[in-house]
Amino acid sequence: MQSSSSPHGRGFDRLLAVPLAVYLLLIVVLVSGVFLTITRKAVAEAFSEPALLYAIKLSVVTSVAAALLSVAVAVPAGYVLSRRRFPGHFVADTILDLPIVLPPLVMGLCVLIFFNTAIGRWIDRGIVEEGLFVYQPLGIVLVQFIVGCAFAVRVIKAGFDSLDPRYEDVAMTLGANRSQTFFKVVLPNIIPSLVAGAVISWARIFGLFGPVLLVCGTMRGRTEIMPTTIFLEISIGRIDVALVVGACMILISLTVLVIFKRLGGKGYLW
Amino acid sequence: MVNNGVQLKGVSFRIGEFAIENLELSIRNGEYFVLTGPNGAGKTIIVKLIAGLLQPAAGAIRIGGESVTDLPPWERSIGYMPQDGVLFPNRSVRRNIQFGLEVRHESKRTMGEAVERTARVLGISHLLDRMPVGLSGGERQKVALARALVLKPSLLLLDEPLSAIDEETRDSLCDELRAIQRQTGVTTIHVSHNRKETQLVADRVGVLTHGAISDIMEVHKKA
Repeated sequence: MQSSSSPHGRGFDRLLAVPLAVYLLLIVVLVSGVFLTITRKAVAEAFSEPALLYAIKLSVVTSVAAALLSVAVAVPAGYVLSRRRFPGHFVADTILDLPIVLPPLVMGLCVLIFFNTAIGRWIDRGIVEEGLFVYQPLGIVLVQFIVGCAFAVRVIKAGFDSLDPRYEDVAMTLGANRSQTFFKVVLPNIIPSLVAGAVISWARIFGLFGPVLLVCGTMRGRTEIMPTTIFLEISIGRIDVALVVGACMILISLTVLVIFKRLGGKGYLW
Repeated sequence: MVNNGVQLKGVSFRIGEFAIENLELSIRNGEYFVLTGPNGAGKTIIVKLIAGLLQPAAGAIRIGGESVTDLPPWERSIGYMPQDGVLFPNRSVRRNIQFGLEVRHESKRTMGEAVERTARVLGISHLLDRMPVGLSGGERQKVALARALVLKPSLLLLDEPLSAIDEETRDSLCDELRAIQRQTGVTTIHVSHNRKETQLVADRVGVLTHGAISDIMEVHKKA
């Protein structure tokens, strides 16, 4: 964002900055509180268990897979919603907002109920006897995708909306067919939106707890991810280990945000 | 000479309240034709119909004697230059100009030679490694023109190409446009509502009012 060069009214600008400073302070105090509370003993105890390492690995793998899948779906979906008007456009656009406004737990319930229907049971157990999704790691990816994809569609659609359609017109008159236009002109010009869509959906997915617990349970060494580890550790009174897991999540989130911002989320992420 | 002029026969198109009904327009081979008229007369729509960016409800469009009515824009052999150039912001000037050659899978050497040659003709060789973001309005238009001309199109469509440019630059660009058109002999349709610009470049002027050609005037006698 450009700053105003006028020296007048700086006092008013400082006044506007007060809520920002208060909110930043709040986040810093809360987050640093976690790190200040952790003891070396708790860290050693947490990492002595293979379950935590498995939970970290499963969290990272499932959240990255679900975020990539979300972006893969959000790119064509966002483009169609942005560029085309079709019967039911408003309905489609509204349905896409449902996973954003609904509590994630409700989405989890919907998934669970679906897998209790005849079609759902066939999809879940028709191919693999022990099940593909319910109480399975693949179910974590599915639930994360259902919640995260809507966020990716919203952000990526906004990128398409802001791209002047005349770029496509010019590209086509220069001899580029529809797919060449899409891949050589449209996509390269919305990279910041793609990055932002990936980060925002990943951020939503990484901390997802309720629906994962509902659909996949929290089986140690099988469907346990970091948010469910925190839940498990608190439920058995090991608050200090839960804090270590929380600190790991904060560090992973910060690392991902910094990397993606350096990659080019400019204009959308900061 | 092979006829590669442009003919619109009985072309109809409707969008919202606006309609073009049964439009007849013939542009001669190698001619510099200016389409003028008030805002909302349908000038840009006609250019887009010829470019294939809009599809007529009825009628036929021929470019260079070939019917292109049902052809997509990428098969029409046209050069299109909209207002303010619309340069691809993620590509350097060189890569903007060579875009059409890239999608035709031309070799790097062919692309390099064609880009250098076209840039020399338009006097923009010194801009080739710049990004569009720092270019002036006149420079942007020259790059957009180079990007269209490098493909040696049968037809050049200029949609208000000089409307966002100051008067002094506009006059000199008009002279350049006219000279380049004479040099290449490409049939050109130029949309403008600027009287002076029209006088400077046109062989003939078509006046468009409410989607219909109300008058056609000769301006220059071609050499």
